[in-house]
Formats: sequence, structure tokens, C-alpha cells
Amino acid sequence: MKKFALLSTLLLVGSAFAASPKDTLVIQESADIPTLDPGVTYDTASGAIVENIYETLLTYKGNSLRDLEPLLASKLPTISNGGRTVTFDLRKNVKFHTGNAMTCRDAEYSFERNLVTNSAESGNWFISESLLGTGSNANDDKTITWARIDKAVECNNAGQLVFTLPKPDPAFLAKLAYTGQSIVDSKHAISIGEWKGTEADWKNWVGKDLTGSNLNKQPSGTGAYRLVRRDANATLLQAFDGYWGKKPAIKNVVIQKVPEIAARQQAFLRGDADIIEGGGRSVDEQQIKGKPGVAWLDNLPNTSAFAIFMNQKIQDPALLGSGKLDGKGIPANFFNDVNVRRAFSHAFNYQQYIQDVQQGKGKQRTMLLPDTFPGYDSEVKTYSFDAAKARQYFQRAWGGNVWKNGFTLTANYRAGSVPSQTAMEILKRNIESLNPKFKVNIQQKQWSEMLADSKKGREAVILIGWAPDYADPDNFLYTFYSSNGFYAPRSNFKDASVDKWLEQARATVNTAQRNRLYSLVGNRVYEQAPYINVPAPVAYTFFRNNLQGVSAATFNPMTSFSYTGTLWKDLSKK
Amino acid sequence: MLNFIVRRLIQVPLVMLALSLFIVGLTQLLTPEQRAAGYIRSDQQAARLEAIIEERGLRDPFVVQYGNWLGSTLKGDLGFSRASGQDVVQTIRERLPNTIELTLLTALPILLLGIALGTLSALHKDKLIDQILRVLTIIGYSLPTFVLGIVLLAVFYGYLGWLPGAGQVNIINQFALGDLRHYTGLLSIDAALNGRWDIAWDVLQHLILPAATLTVVSTATIVKVMRNNMLEALTSDYVRTARAKGLADRVVNNKHARRNALLSIVTLGGFLIINLLSGSLITEFIFGYPGVGLWMVEAGLRLDIPAVLGFALLSALIVVVVSTVVDILYGVVDPRVRFD
Repeated sequence: MKKFALLSTLLLVGSAFAASPKDTLVIQESADIPTLDPGVTYDTASGAIVENIYETLLTYKGNSLRDLEPLLASKLPTISNGGRTVTFDLRKNVKFHTGNAMTCRDAEYSFERNLVTNSAESGNWFISESLLGTGSNANDDKTITWARIDKAVECNNAGQLVFTLPKPDPAFLAKLAYTGQSIVDSKHAISIGEWKGTEADWKNWVGKDLTGSNLNKQPSGTGAYRLVRRDANATLLQAFDGYWGKKPAIKNVVIQKVPEIAARQQAFLRGDADIIEGGGRSVDEQQIKGKPGVAWLDNLPNTSAFAIFMNQKIQDPALLGSGKLDGKGIPANFFNDVNVRRAFSHAFNYQQYIQDVQQGKGKQRTMLLPDTFPGYDSEVKTYSFDAAKARQYFQRAWGGNVWKNGFTLTANYRAGSVPSQTAMEILKRNIESLNPKFKVNIQQKQWSEMLADSKKGREAVILIGWAPDYADPDNFLYTFYSSNGFYAPRSNFKDASVDKWLEQARATVNTAQRNRLYSLVGNRVYEQAPYINVPAPVAYTFFRNNLQGVSAATFNPMTSFSYTGTLWKDLSKK
Repeated sequence: MLNFIVRRLIQVPLVMLALSLFIVGLTQLLTPEQRAAGYIRSDQQAARLEAIIEERGLRDPFVVQYGNWLGSTLKGDLGFSRASGQDVVQTIRERLPNTIELTLLTALPILLLGIALGTLSALHKDKLIDQILRVLTIIGYSLPTFVLGIVLLAVFYGYLGWLPGAGQVNIINQFALGDLRHYTGLLSIDAALNGRWDIAWDVLQHLILPAATLTVVSTATIVKVMRNNMLEALTSDYVRTARAKGLADRVVNNKHARRNALLSIVTLGGFLIINLLSGSLITEFIFGYPGVGLWMVEAGLRLDIPAVLGFALLSALIVVVVSTVVDILYGVVDPRVRFD
């Protein structure tokens, strides 16, 4: 008995130390952190750490996605030469974690390094589009020379950073706020074996994957936190004493990797973790919300957009059945008729999807653009579920042959994705209920195959989405609606007016003019219905209630640390 | 004996070569897009799928792809693991000692408990104690590891708060780990050698629940086998002879019957240790224990081919080494076994 008592005491002593200390932020998540090198950061798990170690020239102001403010720049840039020259004054007395002073050369090196490497895994293609006029690197595009890279970003005699763009890019400043465009410590990087920053070895670094680079192992930024140690179990960071800004209240940050959700939930409910990766709205509402010590913040903005694609030129004969409008299949250009697309758009029950998939927390958007983004027009009409209208449009489609003969269609959804499966089931049921001759087969497909096939136009109806790289409408609207956009081969939607307006909008820096053009696009795509606009989920977060600094007023969805929508330096604990 | 060991060691590179050919060959059954999907995490990266395929040479012929892998491997570079965010060699170097630590703490109780309870059960055949042990064995044998692990975690960590949760050390000690000098790679021992008894104790506490999970599940098999072997031995002629000679029950049971019954336990123990050293996948996953098992689960989920290949080579090495040790032990337990 005595032995048992001793053991219990020792165990209790041990567990007494477990709770998360006041100056330490403890985060438990299942995600791995692929890299800490900004040059290849293109995922939120890496970005959430990189954005606290490094800093960009500009950042988003508070929770706004429309207003930018200087960070490592001392003020907003001067734009001249018809929008082609962008000049930055840099903040003085800024130090890197190594103690090196930040100079213009570091900024120049950082951008040149991104342009030189521009590996497939990175998000540097979009900065390259702005600065070199192409998203490719020098391996894929032989017109890219060292001279062009060198000229694109330079330091002038006044120590200012000067970008020279081949043509004006209204999204350029928003692109600079992306974590991947952070300023790195060039002296340190070169000393640990990264690119030397000169023409001498630039060719060796073209397309190089920096995920496991030396800079990933030994990062040095100007951010409020510096990396202390990284092991299989945890990533540890500490407030940087030499930080130029306000001293953070949280001294230590520990990111623990706990793959099992039950273990994370236990730690969170006991207060050993301040923030954990949840298990989706239904799980979190049931198991976390309302429990003692838990703070729950709902109705937060969401910046992803999902659509059901209706391919107007289906390249896979296997999905076409007979390939004719004889009730046993569809022609490859079945969705070419706007009446079919409108009928499908009216056949989707948006409210049911919001209820079934999003537990009532969803929002129907007017266009495939987050409603918090600049350029969003809330006045554009939206489709609603209306069986009568759907029937009407089907009766008009293909000269009445769709209604008369019926069709058999095969739609694929991403294997394992419950929202995609539910959306397809809703669509199937509603369409089949309109006419006994209508048949929609749904089948699951592996993501990788779906990506590859859809790119070749080999999918008929699929649900896919887009999340932003930077807060500019072009990143969504061009992607979805332009016939030169990323999703064009998947939808084969082409509308001359939409194309013209989107090209005009990406060539002007006049915000009012751009907004007008995007409204025109919104209204036109409502009429043309190239996609079924799937309701967007409403975001939420939860955290221990002694954590301060998290609120709707401070939550910025472009921050990679999406648990709080803030940087760690803006948090504190009671 | 020396010849036997040398012969076994020569087998290692051959086994590894065949295994790597097999695994790289298997990956060729996947399309380049499927293999490239392991490198992407978002729709934006998916936009770069073709560039990733080109850059990684995923459309190259099998011979070229295997040649590239073999060339780097022979230089000691097993590639970069996206699941760990480190080089494969460094990942193994960092995580294998953790798994060894868990194995050390787990294997001995499993074997000792299994042998003792199996013997006890056989010696009290059909009596109450045997019935109880048999029921417990069936429960232990049938209990899925993930269920037991989560229940233990919920009760001893979540509800009672007696034991720590997932991971290897508490938050308070996380920062101190960087100051430790590493002698063995085994964290509890290294911490003790550094005079940090608090960390050593912390590590041991974190090992209790995963070790208990593995012990409950794995002991059942040993108890079952040991009971059967003991029952067979107890009814054999040489045991009857020993009793007829007037030897005490204790001597007959322990020295004559149990020694013979242990033969298959040695083999089983070998498999047990191979399994533990190759990473107890589910247990390490549930308890977020940073061993090779956890790495492997993540590597598998992410189609992290360098990691899968590295892990397969490590497993092959473990199998050959442990099998050799088991064969040697076999000779120690049963002198009739010869190595010539």
C-alpha cells in the first residue's frame, strides 16, 4: 500500500508540471511542417511558422484584406512609370536573428532567390509572373536570363528597393504580403551553403526544391520569434530579444505533433494545450464547444471557394455513355447549352447542403470569390433551388431533346471527401426527381487521378475549390472564369466579354475601375452559369479562454496561423 | 559460430537490394500523377503537378529512377522525407533511439510476464487461476490496440490526470532538451547521465501508457504459447522420468519442463522485438510518440517514397540482425542446435 501511495504521489507530481505555463503558447496539431524556408513555403502548416520567424515588406492591416500596411518597408511604396516601377524605402535598425543588420541587399537577394529557384513546389510562380512576365523558371523558359532577374529587383544608390515590372500588375503589392516573399538573411544563407546571390552559380539553383534546404534547418529572419529547436516531437520557438517591434507577451511557443485527435482533445480540455487542431465543425461542436475553459469564436470569414464544374467539352468517352442525347448518354458538349447549366444550377439545393454539410453555418456567395475580398459584389444575383425553373430550363435545352429523350451522366467526386459526396448526392437526387429519363451516376475517384484527368478535360462534373495565394480578386476570378485561367481546361468555359473584362482588370491599378469590371464579370457569369457555386463554410475557431488577442476584429483569414488569425506576437495569456 | 554470423551479415545488403528493387518496382504501378500527389498539399500546388513530375523525373524509365535512387543511397543519401521534414538518415538517427527506448521498456515485461503467467496457467490447468488467466488472455488478444490506447489515455491522463498525455516530455522540459549532451540517444538515460533526473522521470512517465498498451496486447500471445508449450512439456517422457527420479516439483517444472517450453518463446520473442523495433505503428500514433512507427504511418499516408524505402531498409536490417541473435540464443537454450 505504501509503495502504491509513493507511486501515486510521484505520478501526481509529474502531472502537476503538465499545464501550459503563462508565458508559453502550446499548440497541438497533426500536420507536419514541411519547411521553414520561405523560398518554398506554399502550405499553411509551414506558413504558420514562417510568418512568425520572417517578415514581408507589406502586410494586411488588422482583419482587412483590402488594406495593406508597411512591415519591413518603412512606408507604402512609390509607384511610378505607369505602374511598372515600384520603389520601397526599407525600415532601419532591423536585425536578423543572427544579429546581422537587415539591408536592401537582403531584400534584393530574397526576391532574386525566389525568381532563380522558382521550384514547382513553391508559390514563386506568381511573383515571377509579375516580375518576369512568366510563371516558369529558367529551366522551362529559356528567355529568362540572369540579366532579366537582376534587373527585375535592384537596390538603388539611396538604398531603396526597386522593382521593375514588365507591365503594371494591380495584384503585385498583395503578392508581396505573401509569407513566401519574406526577407531572408542573405549573409547567413550564403554562409550555410545557399545560393551565393550572384550570376556565378545561379544556374545550379534553377528549379531547385528548397524544402529541405540549409535555410530550412537554420532559419534567420527579422520576425518576432526565432527557432530554438525542431525535433520529431516538437518545434520550439522563443521571442527574439532583438526584435525591432513591440516585445511579444508570449515568450515561448511550442508546436507539438499529436496525430491522434482524442489525445489532442484531452490535452486541450485539461489545459495542457492552448490551441489544438480540431476535427471539423460537427466533431468540435459536439466535443469541445461549451466545455469549461473553452473559448469559441464563430462566424469568421472563409477564403476558400468551391464549385461544381460543368465541363463544356468532355474528353473522356467513358463518361459519355452512348455519346448522344438518346437517354443512354450525353454528347461531349452537353453543357455547352446554357439552359443545361442553368437547369443544373437551379437543381442544386443550396440550403440543404448548408444544413447537411456545414451544420447550418454556410453562406451562398454571388461569385467564386470570398466575400471579404476586394472586388466582391454582393449585388450580383445568386441561383436558388427551384425545381420548376430547373424543369423549365431542361425543357428548353438542346431544342427540347434533353427533356424528351433524357440523359445518363457520370459525375465523379473526390474519394473520402464527405462534402463532395453529399453535394453530388443532392444534385443526383434533385435532377433525377425532375424526369424519370434523367440518370446521374456518381462515383468516387482518387484525388491525384481526378486532378490529372480534369486538367485534360476528362471529367464531366466534379467539385473542386481554390484557396487564395494573395488577397486579390484576380487570384480567384481569373483562375475560374478566364479561358486562359488555371481552371479553364477543366470547365472549357469561354466567354469573350468575361475574358476581355478580366484582362482589363489585371492591367489596371485603378481600384474603382477594377471593381466595376469584376461586377460586370459577376453579372455575366450569373447569366452564363459555368459553375454551380457551392456555399462557402463559415469559419470558426476555439482556444483556451485565458488566451487573449483573438477576436473577429483581429482575425485575418490570410494569416496562415488560422487558429487565431493573428501573428503570435499579438497574443497574450491571462 | 563466427562463420554463421558473417554469412548472415553478408545477406544484409542482398536482402536490402532485393527489397528496394521490389518497392521501387511497386511504385511504378502508380501513375506519375499519383506519385507526384505526394508532393502537393493544396489546390494551388496541384496547379504545379506537371512541373513537379518533370522536376522529379517521375516519367523517366524504371531503370533510370532506380539508378538515381541507388546512386544516392550508395553515397549515404537516402533522400529527404517530407513526412518528417528531414533527411531520411537523420530521421532514422533521431527516431530509432526513441523506438529502442520503448522496446527496452516493453519487451522485457512482455516476455517475463508472458512466460510467468503462461507457466502459472499451465501448472494450474483448469483451476480457477487458469480460467481467469485464459479469459484475460482472450481479452488482451482480442482488444484492438487503438481502442486500448485511447481508453488508457482517456482514463489515466484525461480523467484521473495521473499520467501525462501524448509526446515524450512535458512542455516545461521541451526547452531543456536542447541543452542535454547526448551519449546514447536514449532520452531517459541521456537525461540521467546529464544529471537531469526530472527529465529522465518525465520521459519514463510518458512511456508508461504506450508501454502498458503494448504489454497488454502482446503479452497475451506469449501467455497462450507458453501455456501450450508447458502443458506439452509437462506430459512428456523426460518430465515423467525426472519426477520418477524423485526430483522436487520446482526443479522439474522450472529446469526441465520450462526450459524446453521456452524454445518457441525465443522465436516468438524475436518476432516481438522485430515488431517493436520496426515501430509499433498504432501505439506510437495514438500517443504521438516520436519513434520510427509514427514516422512510417505519416510517410505511408503522404506517399513519402524516400521515407518508405528508408524504413524498409531499416526493417530489413533489424530483421536480419534480430534473427541472427535469436538463432544464437536458440543454441544457448538448446545445446543440440549447431551452427556448422
